[in-house]
Order: sequence, then structure tokens, then C-alpha cells
Amino acid sequence: MNDQGETVLNLLLFSVGGVYFGIDSEQAAGINAYQGEEAGDLFWFHNEMGFGDATVKYLSPTVITIRCPDGQPYRVIIDLMEDIREITATAILPFPPLLEPFALRKGMWGVLPVEGRMVLLVDFMRILREKRVVAARHGG
Amino acid sequence: MAPSDEQLKSELILEELKRRQRDKEVVDVEEERVKVVIFICGGNRYAFYGADIREILPSCEISWVPCLPDYLPGLINIRGDIESVIDISHFLGEETSRHETCLIAMAVKGDFHSGIMIDSIEDVVDIPLSTVKPPLATLNGAVRDLVIGEIEYLGRTIALLDIGKLAGLIAL
Repeated sequence: MNDQGETVLNLLLFSVGGVYFGIDSEQAAGINAYQGEEAGDLFWFHNEMGFGDATVKYLSPTVITIRCPDGQPYRVIIDLMEDIREITATAILPFPPLLEPFALRKGMWGVLPVEGRMVLLVDFMRILREKRVVAARHGG
Repeated sequence: MAPSDEQLKSELILEELKRRQRDKEVVDVEEERVKVVIFICGGNRYAFYGADIREILPSCEISWVPCLPDYLPGLINIRGDIESVIDISHFLGEETSRHETCLIAMAVKGDFHSGIMIDSIEDVVDIPLSTVKPPLATLNGAVRDLVIGEIEYLGRTIALLDIGKLAGLIAL
């Protein structure tokens, strides 16, 4: 909270495939350069978000280790971090009603207009929760 | 009856003419008119009720969002408000409009509001409501789910599309 009683977020801003995203820095336990490793707890961001058939090129792949409340390992490869920005929650706009159900399913919960760009805010906890629901449904 | 009390034939005729004129004026006044927006999508003409279209925006950048269906190309920023965009060509069985050159018709009906991608605006006309004919029962293709009526424009029949039906299709 700031002096005016508004909720303040520190956002890590990055882009993948020409689309701008932001995550709450509190969700990041660590950030490292991607060294080419493969692991069961490591996921490419475009696969997590459902980029579909679009070819996505990573200029500088970076691994974010997500801070999970239950200590489960969860790491996501994003492209190079572009900015860290402090914003108040009032600057965030919800997705239009038509798009919101689709967006929330992939962890995107809001839009932040920044300098003519639309930054899509991603909550990795939502993605993880959705993945677990799907896994449970398939008996995994 | 004294000649002065007798209504002249001309008076009778004149009264009748005036009565008819009044009736005609009443009919003219009561003829409800509606505004329709005629637009092009995929090379064909279609129309919306003008009351359902808040404004037409020139081509603006559509921000793509992952995981959306093909008929939802993304988001637009209208004076600080974020709105969805619908590619209506998907529902009309037409070729997809080019994002760079398309116009966005801002549709608002009840709780539903969204931008709709169209190729261009052909005309905005006031027409008598009575000239809106029910859609042909034999209408084929994807457009059948969206049509609320048919109108005549420049000698051609144009499908009048219902924003409410479009909203219903997307909600499915």
C-alpha cells in the first residue's frame, strides 16, 4: 500500500513473441539465464500461455523460478526482462467481458496500458492451479 | 332545406379531400423509420441497426492475446478503455479482414459491447421499418445464425445482422 492507501505492485515486464507481459515480482523467487537444460518443472512461456501455432523466437531466454506456497518447483522460461515498474492497482484494467474467461484460463488477469502498449498481466499461481485441476481431472 | 343551409358538393368534396390528407399525414407520421449502417465484409454488403453501433473507428492497432479463439483477434485501446474485437468474417463465412486496413465498428447492445472488424462503411441510411423484411427461410450458410431481416439497397438485397445474435453466438 502507498500513502494514499492504494495497493502497489512491482511488475517485472518482459515480451515474448512481440507480446508484452508483466508479473508481480513477489511471485519470482529467482531469475537466471537459460542454459539449455530440460526438466519436468521447467516450461517455455509460450507453451504455458497457449501461443498456438505461432512461431516464437526467444532472443535471450531467461528462467524465472516461481515462488510456490507449497514449495513445489515451477520454473518458466521467458524472454529477457525489459523493465521493473512500480504501479498502483488502479492503473490496471480488467479484460473486456468477452475475453476474460479465455484470458483467466491462462492466468492473464488484467491489462496495463503502458506508453501505447498493452501489457498483459500474468499470475503464475493461476496457471499452476489450472494445471493441477487439469492433471487431477486426468488422474495425474 | 334552404339553399344556404345545404352543404355544397364542393364543400363535401373538399372536406373529404382534407380528411384523406389528414389521414395520410397521420400515416406518414406514424411510419417508423430506422437507421441502418451498411458495411462491407469480404466483398459483400451487410447491415447493422444504427442504434447498435456507437461509433466507427479508423484502423487501429489490435493487440493479440494468446489463447483466444480465431474470431477474437485481441484488444483495442479506445481513449483509455480496453475493448475486445470480434472478427465477424468468421461467422459470415467470408475471407478474414486485414487487421492493418480494417475499420472497427463499436457495437453496444444491452450489456454487450465490443469492436467488430469490418472492411469498410458503405452508407448510413434511414429506412422505413416496414421495408425490413423477415429473412428468407431458405437462407444458407453461417450468416443464417446472425440475420434478423433483409433490406433493399441499390436494388440488391442485404442481410441485416443482429448484434444480439452475434453476442449469443460468442457466449456459446
